[in-house]
Amino acid sequence: MSPTRPEPNEPRTDTGWSRRAWLTNWGVQGLAATAFLDLLRSEANAKDLADARSKGATRIVPKARRAIHISLIGGMSHIDSFDFKPELIARHGKTLVTSETPDTFNGKVGLLRKPDWAFAPRGRSGLHVSELFPHIARQADLLTVVRSMTSESANHTPALFYANSGFAFNGFPSLGSWLSFGLGNETDELPAFVVLPDHRGGPNGGSTNWSAGFLPAEHQGVVFHGDSEPVRELFAPTPEGRSAEPDIRGFIDTVNRRHAQRNGDDSLLEARIRSYALAAKMQLSVPETASIEGESEETRALYGLDDPRCSEFGRRCLLARRLVERGVRYIQVFSGGPIAGSPRASWDAHENVAQNHGAEAARIDKPVAALLHDCHRRGLLDDTLILFTTEFGRTPFAQSEANAAGPGRDHNRYGFSVWMAGAGLKPGTAYGATDDIGWKAAEKASTWHDFHATLLHLFGIDHQRLTFYHNGIERRLTNVHGTVMRDVLA
Amino acid sequence: MASRRPALVRLTFFVLCRFASLAASGDDRAPEVHAEKAESILIARCIRCHIGDDAKGGLDLSQRSSALRGGKNGAAFLPGSAEESLLWQRVADDEMPPKEPLNEADKSTLAAWIESGAAWPASPLDPFRISTGKSAGYDWWAFRPLQTDFSKAIDIAEKGRNPIDIFVDRELKRHDAKPNPQAKPRDLIRRLAFDLTGLPPEPELVAAFESDPSRKRYETIVDRFLASPRFGERWARHWLDVVRYGESTGFERNEPNYTLWPYRDWIVKALNDDLPYDQFARMQLAGDVIAAGPEGAAASAFLVAGVHNTVIGVSRRMRLLARQDELEEIVGTMGQTFLGLTIQCARCHDHKFDPITAREYYGVISAIDGVQHGERTFESRETAILRNSLESRLKAVSAEISRIENAGRERPSQPAPESIEPDDLPKPYAMWTFDDGPQDGVGSLHGTLTGGVRIESGELKLDGKTGYFRTPTLKKYLSVKTFEAWVMTDDLAQRGGGIVSQQSDDGAIFDAIVFGEQEPRRWMAGSDGFSRTSSFRGPEETEAAARPVHIAITYDRDGMVTCYRDGMPYGLPYKSTPAKFPVNGAHIAIGLRHLPAGGNRHFKGSVLRAAVYDRALKPEEIARSAARESGFLSVENLTARLGSEMAEKHRSLRSQREQLGKELTRASAAPMTKIYAVNAAAKPGPMRVHLRGDVTEFGPVVSPGGLKAVRGDFDWAVSPDSTDRERRTKLAEWIASPENPLFARVIVNRLWHHHFGIGIVETPNDFGFNGGRPSHPELLDFLARSLVDNGFRLKPLHRLIVTSDAYMRSAEFSPENARADAQNRLLWRHAPTRLEGEALRDAMLAVSGELNVAMGGPGYVDVTVTPNNGTTYYEPIDTAEPNLQRRTIYRFSPRGGRSTLLDSFDCPDASATSPRRNVTTTPLQALSLLHGEMTVRLAHSLAERAEREAGQTAKSRVERCWSLVLQRSPDADELAASLDLAERHGLWAVCLGLFNANEFVVTP
Repeated sequence: MSPTRPEPNEPRTDTGWSRRAWLTNWGVQGLAATAFLDLLRSEANAKDLADARSKGATRIVPKARRAIHISLIGGMSHIDSFDFKPELIARHGKTLVTSETPDTFNGKVGLLRKPDWAFAPRGRSGLHVSELFPHIARQADLLTVVRSMTSESANHTPALFYANSGFAFNGFPSLGSWLSFGLGNETDELPAFVVLPDHRGGPNGGSTNWSAGFLPAEHQGVVFHGDSEPVRELFAPTPEGRSAEPDIRGFIDTVNRRHAQRNGDDSLLEARIRSYALAAKMQLSVPETASIEGESEETRALYGLDDPRCSEFGRRCLLARRLVERGVRYIQVFSGGPIAGSPRASWDAHENVAQNHGAEAARIDKPVAALLHDCHRRGLLDDTLILFTTEFGRTPFAQSEANAAGPGRDHNRYGFSVWMAGAGLKPGTAYGATDDIGWKAAEKASTWHDFHATLLHLFGIDHQRLTFYHNGIERRLTNVHGTVMRDVLA
Repeated sequence: MASRRPALVRLTFFVLCRFASLAASGDDRAPEVHAEKAESILIARCIRCHIGDDAKGGLDLSQRSSALRGGKNGAAFLPGSAEESLLWQRVADDEMPPKEPLNEADKSTLAAWIESGAAWPASPLDPFRISTGKSAGYDWWAFRPLQTDFSKAIDIAEKGRNPIDIFVDRELKRHDAKPNPQAKPRDLIRRLAFDLTGLPPEPELVAAFESDPSRKRYETIVDRFLASPRFGERWARHWLDVVRYGESTGFERNEPNYTLWPYRDWIVKALNDDLPYDQFARMQLAGDVIAAGPEGAAASAFLVAGVHNTVIGVSRRMRLLARQDELEEIVGTMGQTFLGLTIQCARCHDHKFDPITAREYYGVISAIDGVQHGERTFESRETAILRNSLESRLKAVSAEISRIENAGRERPSQPAPESIEPDDLPKPYAMWTFDDGPQDGVGSLHGTLTGGVRIESGELKLDGKTGYFRTPTLKKYLSVKTFEAWVMTDDLAQRGGGIVSQQSDDGAIFDAIVFGEQEPRRWMAGSDGFSRTSSFRGPEETEAAARPVHIAITYDRDGMVTCYRDGMPYGLPYKSTPAKFPVNGAHIAIGLRHLPAGGNRHFKGSVLRAAVYDRALKPEEIARSAARESGFLSVENLTARLGSEMAEKHRSLRSQREQLGKELTRASAAPMTKIYAVNAAAKPGPMRVHLRGDVTEFGPVVSPGGLKAVRGDFDWAVSPDSTDRERRTKLAEWIASPENPLFARVIVNRLWHHHFGIGIVETPNDFGFNGGRPSHPELLDFLARSLVDNGFRLKPLHRLIVTSDAYMRSAEFSPENARADAQNRLLWRHAPTRLEGEALRDAMLAVSGELNVAMGGPGYVDVTVTPNNGTTYYEPIDTAEPNLQRRTIYRFSPRGGRSTLLDSFDCPDASATSPRRNVTTTPLQALSLLHGEMTVRLAHSLAERAEREAGQTAKSRVERCWSLVLQRSPDADELAASLDLAERHGLWAVCLGLFNANEFVVTP
């Protein structure tokens, strides 16, 4: 029956299947759908679910099943890392020739400034990577670098929100939430979306960055801490509570069964009963995953756990690998905490790129390279993506007076680099290009929406069809934009 | 692109069509009939792309002239000959419209129309005139006027029944669904209690209703809940979801906002008082301009309660973008909240689905362009009441004292004060008599006192070290002016104290009456760096320590500076160049030469009265003013002239006055309430259309306005450069009116949504094309009409709903009904409801006896607030502190950083309006309810309560727990399981188990 949406106004997907009816069923009233969603998370069912969700969209053959996303806070300089610009070196100390006012953050346009690190062609591919990342450089043959990224905003938080959710505002679901929503999870013992923040503090915008926005709460990122209780409230707060827990669970079960006998079947009530069983499983698997006790000496050394400069990040990279191995859909690893402050705890090198990027790179270079290498040798890269992104790049001109080439660089939203590695990509290649001095994207200029469309494509999802109705609009990760970057695909 | 069909096929088809149209009745051939049908096709299928300057292929089909002119590919058609018309060729070939070609009927209509000469319909075509299969037009259901006549719907025979059930039952019958019977008494009261108050019912109430489950008693309970203060708290939560109420700025800094709570309190109170909904809305849209004072300001915070980026960048584009983002956020929330429309979707282009143009969008933006985020300062209600009462008492006492003193002063040698007619006195710009405190008796330059200064016996007493009096910033630019003061010095040897000073807010520029600075014991006109100071060469002062003297200095237009003492010229005037004060950056100080305070700049003595004029007074005016108070006598002299009885009365009155003055000073010093509110720009200036939403591409100027689709005939009558007050007053009139059908429909649907878990329209924020369609359209209009007829009072509507059979049905699941209507849109049952995070927390507090029902005021803070290098982090904490045991509506709620309980139980993050909540069931929820510090703590409290209240036996204690949590006794099995668990681990374990039980978390 459909008293609610008489023809002909009911919007339908091409297949004639009304997404609205399904969502409403789930979001508002039909808690049966919720139960289905939450509780039937085995691989087979997750696949059915994915089919149901993006019906028609799954004609794309999925290449990736999981992703580890390394997110650099503050804005990493592309011209000092992955975008080699000989012309910039040649024009060091010259004035930027332009008729426009560059849209930076601080508005100071100094002289052009050459990179602080030497570049060299790497590996068999000959991909240029600078000495800023000597370890990652050795894995260059695994990378697919996008050198023509652009952003709508040169302001940290809106730019980070764009990169993470496709919108500049609070309140939109992040990439990980969309993947969790679109594909469910491969394990019912761990959350689908796990966040590993920098120990120096959360990124600008805090937990908004892993918010599910208007998607149901279960798609929100779950923060894993490094301590004995990796997930908040995983265990009873007191020893007496821990020892009583099995009996309390038994009691709850008894009471709920009696209630069901009296009140008849109800999917919501049944779903709640099963959620307690799943919680018990999670109590076992979360600590097991979080513990790296069983990892070999070689692996520990590979991730730099013996090096105080990078052991903190190395531990998180290793944890990320353990999480993808166990079927977690999406893991976001942050490099950098709050934006401001001195010394900076992020990549926001306004004052001095050599100093700031030097210190930040020392924290992550070895672990990121280890993650690439380790995933590669274990075969994980066959169906796992590793993403390496930042908010925006940095200006080829110094952030200083017009007649100086000082050591710092401002935000550059017109062109910058990110890279991906793994499932479904052409390894050892670069896509797009900036102009001669690395200021603006000049070839195949790409937006975050393009990046997200490509990412979803790799996961087998048509970005135009993964939607969720919210306040009048079928919302998408890619808003009303986005084109798949075909040339990065294998 | 589809390959072209051979011309022959096209021709054949055309001939057939033509034949068909000719074969139709003669009337159908009339050009106007074709035009009407063609218009629908053009609107529905063509002009969305082919209109205006950006028309696809350069072809604008909205007007005959432009259509004939054609686009890039030449003229679109030849009237009279379809076959030779490009438009027809493309349509016949299924090239246009792309993807979805026209059906055969539409094709033949189009062909016939061209053949008949292509008479143009109304010119130009309005793409929004009619709704189509892809978008809503002005005729969309939600824009239609409310139905008024329900006599057909409500059968005469059924009068006396709850009208809701007449509408609902009719649909049930039509779909052959069988409604559930009424819920069991206990279930019904649990449902009603949570629904209306957000708290579980007391066991006694449930027991009483179970013993007499009559309708009458039910209605009594309904009324009791509706009258409870808990009602406003419960329903305010729903409203705060819609208005994205969050107490931090969001974005990078996400700074805490500790002064937004007055808005929350205003909502709670308004709902409890059943403030009519139209007034409720008007106050939130324009409270600060239509009702001066803290209430109006608090209500206006609706507009500014959303996220707000405080890190903007320095470039012009970034600043403009940030402002337009801010305005979009406000208009988006406003449109969805009150109109159920997504106006914000028309920021870059006309709305894709609803009849809202980008031009209209910027009209609405213009209407709110005065709105700025900010904080305003008010004294509390209590202070205002106290201060007003003190002031009136002080006035009365002062008048009585003056009467006695004036009588005492009357003696032949001196002119009586009464001889000066008030009309003869020059009119000051500001005047301070210090009778009642530091208030300006003429204007609004009320002073504040700093340091060693007090008001006593009608005098401003200054200590000469730290004390001074200052006013707020002058609203008038004073260049030509007069200062005057009645002043007594404590000693004549002091040097440099200022009496009356006009100065820039930083003290760098000033003009002042100064005593003894350059020359001892002489009056002078002080100024910064003595730049406008010369000696008056007047005599040394000898009397001012013994009696008040009148000193005045005039500053004339030509730069002439003149001084008077006791109404007579003091020395000689001189000429200077008038000072240049900063505009809106100067104030008046008394007792201080200029800021900064300290040094020899303070005057030591009393100022009995002071005034500032905005012109240079003439000598005779000065004389008259001086004469008015020339009868100053010392108190001793004065009382000596009064009889002993009068003297006694005088003394008593003076002491009363002193006391009142002290109290007044204290009251005035009470901390002011800071209220986050609209900080309006008085004149926002004209707004322009931003082409394609680009903040640097400007189109035409627009007037503040609304939408043609909603009360299109409303007369805004405000110009593009009108004041903020005019704009928002009109905005509120446009929205909050019985003439606005959306306004009433949207709110009654919200009520319905919360009572039933799903609205008559399932998308409460969106009544446009992308939203849901009403399941019971007539019922929706009936409720909306009732609301309007009720004077927009909401409580009667709540009552009507919760006393309907539809509401009172059992929650029992029926597979037969579910097969026909899985979503329960027909309301064959009342679906079970999972408690919201807030209700769950409140319920645990209530049953454990820990709930602190204190209402209002600053929120309790259950997070640590850690600013860290420009970002603010919030980490949840739990303590047993009483303040933290208040209802969750009183939680300080920054964006991000909630307890896992609220987080996992689907509380929205308040970054965007949230008209309905997701309901999820996850393992993290289970973990939170089992392990949350608060849950466990409250389980212990409940156990202690049961031990306290239920005697010694384990059984009675267990039964008390069950009764408090579930309002029933355990059956034998449940009792056995409870006793066993209590025995092994303590009663608290049973309590924690009950908190996790389905029966507690899900209401029937």
